[in-house]
Amino acid sequence: MTRNEIKDILLEIIADIDEEADFASLDADAPLRDQLDLDSMDFLDIVMELRKRYKLQIPEEEYPQLATLTSCVSYLEPKLKDV
Amino acid sequence: MYHLLIIGGGLSGIAAGIRAARFGLKTLILEQHNHPGGLNSYYFRQGHLLETGLHAMTNFAPARQKHAPLNRLLRQLNLRRRQFDLHEQIASEICFNGRSLLFTNDPVVLEAEVAREFPRSVDQFRQVKERIANHDPFTAGPRRSARQFLADHLHEQELVDMLLLPLMVYGNAEEEDMDLDQFVIMFRAIFVEGFFRPAGTIRDFLDLLLRQYHDFGGELRLRCPVAGLLIKNGRINGAQLADGEVVTAQMVLSTAGIPETMRLVDWPASPQPYIGRMSFMETVVLVPREYSSSLSSNRTILFYHEGEELRYRRPQDYLDTSWGVICFPGNFSGLEPADRLQVRMTNAANYALWKKLTPESYPQVKRQWTEAAIAASEKMIGNYRSSIVYQDSFTPVTIERYTRKAEGAVYGSSIKIKNGMTPWPNLYLAGTDQGFLGIIGSMLSGITIVNQHILQQSYAD
Repeated sequence: MTRNEIKDILLEIIADIDEEADFASLDADAPLRDQLDLDSMDFLDIVMELRKRYKLQIPEEEYPQLATLTSCVSYLEPKLKDV
Repeated sequence: MYHLLIIGGGLSGIAAGIRAARFGLKTLILEQHNHPGGLNSYYFRQGHLLETGLHAMTNFAPARQKHAPLNRLLRQLNLRRRQFDLHEQIASEICFNGRSLLFTNDPVVLEAEVAREFPRSVDQFRQVKERIANHDPFTAGPRRSARQFLADHLHEQELVDMLLLPLMVYGNAEEEDMDLDQFVIMFRAIFVEGFFRPAGTIRDFLDLLLRQYHDFGGELRLRCPVAGLLIKNGRINGAQLADGEVVTAQMVLSTAGIPETMRLVDWPASPQPYIGRMSFMETVVLVPREYSSSLSSNRTILFYHEGEELRYRRPQDYLDTSWGVICFPGNFSGLEPADRLQVRMTNAANYALWKKLTPESYPQVKRQWTEAAIAASEKMIGNYRSSIVYQDSFTPVTIERYTRKAEGAVYGSSIKIKNGMTPWPNLYLAGTDQGFLGIIGSMLSGITIVNQHILQQSYAD
């Protein structure tokens, strides 16, 4: 999967969690949680959805790497390169 | 082999099931009764669908408050606000010995009412509200008494009791007093956020949740009591059903309450501390709409108390009619008036006395106390007995039989197992005995336990 495809998947997952999420002014390098007003339960849903779709196991200690959209894409890129 | 077996098809079990199924766990809910819902269910009598449990839901919040419990709950279940037609309460009232406090979903109303009825205490009440707003009830700490907290701030005992009654009757397992954290949770749920209900009946609400559960691939079996849990090498590996069938699972979540779960798994401890004392008799009556104008058409719920001290405890007699709740499930704003007005009355009841009755004497005693409950409510809302077209009651014994809640204690015992863990590494608890009460609370309980213990676990495939 390309970086752009991964980004689209992430936005699709977030939109399914919170349909009000506003991506228009999203800064890809700033924390997702603050910008989209996500709580820890919403955040867990992103991780769970990635696991369901791609059988990805993301250990809790690596959650910080999912802080921004850019860091998410960088973290997922090697894991999804064959998808 | 299921990933997850859930015992109990009540609201905590269904919410837990939606979470698990949503993320791909093969999930089965087992419910002993022929309807889902547990404590918040329904039954049919003479063509009427009658609800059990639900008077109103608490924690109303507008859609924009993303972190409010209601909206968080809907997001966790992947449901949209627009799938529900939510109706807020009109107004509710607390009536004690001729004094009254009205409240709506706008907290300003209650404060103005306190100022009117207890002018000497209104500044203190504002301080109480501020303390409640700043209190975090979810961080574990030593138990504190809500009565002590209130006595430290409010100097009129009747105001303390008036504030406590709605919060206790809708979510307090303990007799006489209340845990301060639980008090804060209930204060916010009722006096800050407030009452609402979805249009339709509890059946419609349950159907919607179960459609979501089924859409995610979850399975539900009704009329399927569990006889016991099976243990192998220190782990639960499934359940034996009453008809002998064995269902295997990697993890089990029990919402049947701690005493019932102990029975199912031969838990080496006494269930006694986990058996609650507070149970209730509920009476439902239907009266023709034309009589309804005389029956508080502008009130949703009345909380009443007559006499000296408020006794929030298991009564000495079959029923305590000195205090109770009168609910009009049709009186929510924007609901179409039904042909018949429903009135529901709740009074504290003594399980042990009801349990001791013989099958011959039970109906007669029930009739007698139904009459007493109706008479007590007529003092508050005026006479309606002669126009009743249908009435029915259920007692702590009925509650125990249909919900497996030990001694009909709808809020369980005051001792909760908040982390949802048991002596078995793959058996968890959710629902009433885990600690969140009420409809919104029990659903959040199911969600929280699945999030904490079940989703994070790796599952084989």
